[in-house]
Amino acid sequence: MPTRLRRSSRIAELKTLVKRAWRRRIGFRIGVIIVVFAITMAILGPFIAPYPEEGWGIASPETQLRGPQPPSWEHPFGTDLVGRDMLSRVLVGAGYALMQITIVVVVSLVIGLIVGVLAAYSRGLIERILNYFTELFMAFPAIIIAIALNTFGIRGLFVVIISLIITWWSWYARIAYVYARSIREMEYVTLAELAGLPSYKIIYRHILPNTLTPVIVQAITDTGSVLLEAAAINFLGLGLPPDYPDWGVLVQNGFNYIYSYPWISLIPGFFILLVALGFSLLGDNLREELDPKMRHRWKLWF
Amino acid sequence: MPVSLNYLVKRIFWSLLIIIGVIILSYIIIISAPGDPARIWAGNPRGEKAIYAIQKAREELGLDQPLPIQILKYTLQILSGNMGISIEYRVPVVDIIWRGLTATLELLVVSYIIGVSIGILLGVESALRRGSRFDGLMQSLAIILANAPSFWLGIGVIVLLAETIGFTGYGRIDPYIMYQTGFHPITGFYLLDALIQGNFAVFIDVFLRILPPAIVVATYPLGLGLRVSRALIAENLNEDYVRVAVAWGIKRKIVIWKYAFRGAIPSLTQVMGLAFAYSLIDAMIVEVVFGREGLGSIAFSIIGKSDYTLITGLMVTVTIFYILMNTLADILQAIIDPRVKL
Repeated sequence: MPTRLRRSSRIAELKTLVKRAWRRRIGFRIGVIIVVFAITMAILGPFIAPYPEEGWGIASPETQLRGPQPPSWEHPFGTDLVGRDMLSRVLVGAGYALMQITIVVVVSLVIGLIVGVLAAYSRGLIERILNYFTELFMAFPAIIIAIALNTFGIRGLFVVIISLIITWWSWYARIAYVYARSIREMEYVTLAELAGLPSYKIIYRHILPNTLTPVIVQAITDTGSVLLEAAAINFLGLGLPPDYPDWGVLVQNGFNYIYSYPWISLIPGFFILLVALGFSLLGDNLREELDPKMRHRWKLWF
Repeated sequence: MPVSLNYLVKRIFWSLLIIIGVIILSYIIIISAPGDPARIWAGNPRGEKAIYAIQKAREELGLDQPLPIQILKYTLQILSGNMGISIEYRVPVVDIIWRGLTATLELLVVSYIIGVSIGILLGVESALRRGSRFDGLMQSLAIILANAPSFWLGIGVIVLLAETIGFTGYGRIDPYIMYQTGFHPITGFYLLDALIQGNFAVFIDVFLRILPPAIVVATYPLGLGLRVSRALIAENLNEDYVRVAVAWGIKRKIVIWKYAFRGAIPSLTQVMGLAFAYSLIDAMIVEVVFGREGLGSIAFSIIGKSDYTLITGLMVTVTIFYILMNTLADILQAIIDPRVKL
């Protein structure tokens, strides 16, 4: 079956890319280790946490008595204001972090791919209109949208995800457009058109598969930035409520007491940095392996 | 000049179209959110007659008209430089935003001067020594700085300064020094105002207060500048014209800065111009962490207050700033790069 053959070759391409990057680049190896570590943390976190119920945010009289304690053998990351074990909170928080960025990246990627590929395929007015909307949404920063929603008292996970999706899809649309546009000018697409292949088949068979790999690689790089923005929204108190074990919220919890108990803010923040760094290393190195010429296109760096 | 008038007009017209779209979209997002600004404008009336008061407030705000007319009116209003009156503070939105924008821009410009200059210097140095240990160190530094959450770095800097030298002076200016020396803002950029008035006590005070947050905001342009300039210059150093220059015996310094670096300026301008627009948001967050006044703290002061005029004004300001910077970076790059013909 031709379809199966094509799909497997697509996966094979990604596989060789990953293998080559792994062999040649230390940065890529470090990135893989960090990301695998983060995913393990997200899945196993709630189970291996030493004090799981404290990790989820439950404070008991026992923890109240404990109070904020600096890092020790019993509590490697110290305890927070009401005595909850920070290690457990950080471990449970990994799941929240990965869930938020996965939803945002996957949904934005799908919207972006559809808009970008459609814009590239349909010349003329529709192309103009889709590009106009892409550029329009690029101008909105996620945090401003989150603040606007908060001005009217809307809060929660919904705010984080919606405000990030509203802004991020446009970046993927732009990248998908750039690649799909260059493929659209290729001779085999023109030949397929002349042969009378319907346009949805051309998009599905020729344009989409060849756009997919570079856009996914870009998405991996962006995942770090999405995490940073989500954490900033949560830190500012615009997203998840104060007792959730999200890393941004944890940094916020310690923020008013940084002179007395600095570890409450500094330790979860370090994990945000680490995971963002891991995704950046992964994506950057993959991209440079994928297409060394891509380094010229600075505009796609963001 | 390699830029044609045709390109300039097209580019500016396109940006104008996007700005109008941004205004319309912002208004739609805000107005479709729940919450009743008319109730707050009327002063939260209670009792039997409340409904009439709210109705009157709604007419005053123009919220009783159909949506397309509201949007049209708002767009024309913004384009004529009027953003309405804040529901919460009852003063013109433009005044509030101008005050915040100058404070935020001051922070942004100072941090940009720090970040870009250090970033480019380190980038050039590591391009010259590519493959060395220094280069590896700089590459890792750049990627770590570009990925560090700014609010967390801000907290780190606050803790560090307090622990080492006991510095806790935040905010924009010491009101006591301001009062004693008779300092008064003219442009809103305090550093500039202090220089105009020859008031060095205030200048030093403002500068010391702006430095810690500026260093935090500077990390992103520093990391980006380092990576971009390193890659661009490393590429240029391999070009034939640089090799010829070296073979001719031209001084090393001149080869680096007048030959290799000159070729990197256009792309560098474009990337850093775009990053300048992004850093505005960073500056707004860091401002909140350091307790300075500015756009960030304005945004925070109206959370849950249904102040739709102020939040739309803020949204429009930030997005227009981004679009203007983007356009400017594009045009500037086209003007200074002789290779680009548009």
